[in-house]
Amino acid sequence: MAAYEASKHGATVLVVSKDAPQRGGATIMAPGAIAAAGDWAVPGDSPDLHLADTVRGGSFLSEQGLVRLVVEETPDLVLELERIGAIWQREADGRTYSLRIDGGHSFARCPFLEDRTGREILRTLVGELRRRGVGFASGTVVLKLILHDGRVSGAAGLDLATCEPVLLRAKTVVLACGGAGNAYANTSCPTGVTGDGFALALDAGATLMDMEFVQFFPLGFCFPHSLRGCLGGLLFHVHLLNNRGERFMERHDPERLELSTRDRVSRAMYTEIREGRGGPHGGVFADMTYQEPGFIERMQPALFHTYRKIGIDPARDLLELAPTCHFFMGGGRVTPDWESTVPGLFLVGENAADIHGANRLSQNALSQLLVSGARAGRAAAGQARENGQAPVDPAEAVAAAAGAHRLLARGNGIRPHELRDRLREVMWENAGVYRSGSGLQAAAATLEELEAALDSQSLAQRTTRYNTELVEALENRFLLTTARCVVEGALRRTESRGAHYRDDFPATDNRDWLRHIEVHRSQTGLEWASAPVDLCEMDPGDVGRG
Amino acid sequence: MSATPERAPAPQPGRVTVFRFDPEIDLLPHRQTFPFPFEPGMSALDVALYVQHRLDGTFTFSYCCRNSHCGLCGALVNGRPGLLCREPATRAMALEPLGCLPVLRDLTMDRTSYEERMLPLRLFLERSRPPAEEPEHVAPRDQERFKVASRCVECYLCLAACPVFADDPHGFLGPAGFAQLGRHAFDPRDELDRRLMAATAGAHLCTGCGACDDVCPHGVEPCGIIAELVEG
Repeated sequence: MAAYEASKHGATVLVVSKDAPQRGGATIMAPGAIAAAGDWAVPGDSPDLHLADTVRGGSFLSEQGLVRLVVEETPDLVLELERIGAIWQREADGRTYSLRIDGGHSFARCPFLEDRTGREILRTLVGELRRRGVGFASGTVVLKLILHDGRVSGAAGLDLATCEPVLLRAKTVVLACGGAGNAYANTSCPTGVTGDGFALALDAGATLMDMEFVQFFPLGFCFPHSLRGCLGGLLFHVHLLNNRGERFMERHDPERLELSTRDRVSRAMYTEIREGRGGPHGGVFADMTYQEPGFIERMQPALFHTYRKIGIDPARDLLELAPTCHFFMGGGRVTPDWESTVPGLFLVGENAADIHGANRLSQNALSQLLVSGARAGRAAAGQARENGQAPVDPAEAVAAAAGAHRLLARGNGIRPHELRDRLREVMWENAGVYRSGSGLQAAAATLEELEAALDSQSLAQRTTRYNTELVEALENRFLLTTARCVVEGALRRTESRGAHYRDDFPATDNRDWLRHIEVHRSQTGLEWASAPVDLCEMDPGDVGRG
Repeated sequence: MSATPERAPAPQPGRVTVFRFDPEIDLLPHRQTFPFPFEPGMSALDVALYVQHRLDGTFTFSYCCRNSHCGLCGALVNGRPGLLCREPATRAMALEPLGCLPVLRDLTMDRTSYEERMLPLRLFLERSRPPAEEPEHVAPRDQERFKVASRCVECYLCLAACPVFADDPHGFLGPAGFAQLGRHAFDPRDELDRRLMAATAGAHLCTGCGACDDVCPHGVEPCGIIAELVEG
């Protein structure tokens, strides 16, 4: 979205990515919808109500001025995508949008296309960028942002086709790298979602905040291994059972049962699992056998197909599922143009900490992605017009690539996938659904060990052409940086709020902790601070304005 | 309702024979057989990952999303085009590259040449005037056809299955390209003559055999799309 908007406003744009367009990143996986109370809003609904739903869903840690921008500006961007190629699903009259509702939204307000809304957004935007002749530098991993006099002036990376250094000159840079789901043993994210944006921004001097808030979607596959963490069911179509056949949500939330909030269902599942009432693959059981025949096939055709492929008949069998890391609410502190604290560096989508607060409302990711991208793209184009290109030293690229080349030459050491597996396990056990001071301390110690092992990673693949293992090794640095921010942020937040739950501090503490935890990198290491939340629209005691 | 299972079934011995070829080193491709612990329910991707992580780290294949969205992990699984992430593993199995495009290494294909053929197809909405009203009216039949063609993830299983593309890869664009073109041909707002583009890309050469429909993981049915592009 940022590339489109920047191009529209006259900038020369280059889209740089590890994967080919539409072959990677989190958005191609997004099955949901775009939350927006546009002209299509049902009676009673409004942007004000969308704002209130978002802020409540985020346990009042959202930056409310930014939420206002998102709820006001998403509707036109939904239409803008149709102007350039998308078609959202309509009712039989061919004009009225079909709308979805999900947990936390007061009304059905979310346009979509089947269970492929994210892909439709990308297909439309990539097509339009091609029409505009925008350049793509796919197969490039960015390793470092380059600054000149405190302002971003480019980036250094590696061309994966040749392993040659890449030097990029840029008057402005927009990072849209997605979250870091691969820091956790279970994740719904594709393999390349490894915290690149968080780490690059932090290393460039940007301030990150709310990094302790990581969303876990309750229903991820446990088996087979390759599907582990992929979204495996819908909460409103299942009863959850432990290994005694008990519908355990009756104990955890007797009123709402499985339709409780995502964080509560995830914690209830995790409790059953850790107290020995889980299944053989470390999950609990989703029962869909009570649905009328053909219901699951009709309502979730893609998932039904997957069930059959792995030998599960939902009319007869139970499906083992466990919570899975789905989304990072934290990210860079940004202005209303989604510019970071580093001039010229913009952070959009999951790389920004803005509207989701302590927990993201379903369907809000795509809304935020559109508005943050559009605003950043526009502002980045404006700044590019006003600023000359600062000098960029080619030695930066050579130095950044040298680290990769050293990895190719190293002998004995830990394989990148082994290092990543250790990281994912320790994060899952200690910085996941449940956290505690002692568990987080243990995780911090392991992360330190793994960080020390980063430079001694050893590759089985020594080729310089499309070396997938080298990419994994380079990504591990981004993942570790991100994981450290999550763990240390979670240690500092001595309360429970939204997706962050501390066994040792189970209550929400609005007196001391209605605040962001910020981190930035200085000469001496990570520096932590706290900052007030923008409560310009409503506060926890308020019912909302307007 | 079934009782909750207490233990995962014990793995059984399995064997997988994989295609190996590194054009930087090898003169010709060869096959290599590896043992793996077979568990019912595991996918071909699990087997490929087992080989790469436990037995031979140089074995290369592409994947990203693990759940049929990225279109990267297409291969011949026991001789049939399939996505590694979707195809169930079998106790004795063979993994080969799709064969319709050049091999970069082992199961990984070089998609560049085919993707470059997509560029002249102008796969974006071409219209000269902004919509008169919003949301625009789109007839349900147009919506449906646009929606189905848009399910294509360009995994190229259909290219591997297509006998016409195998015979004449330069004269016939292949089902994947025509499915992409179909999205825009079925878009009532689009002003380009997509059928003329389909004709110049050899759509009339399609024999209607339906091999592409049989392997499509998303039910796109390219064969029907090509017929519509030819007949209008």
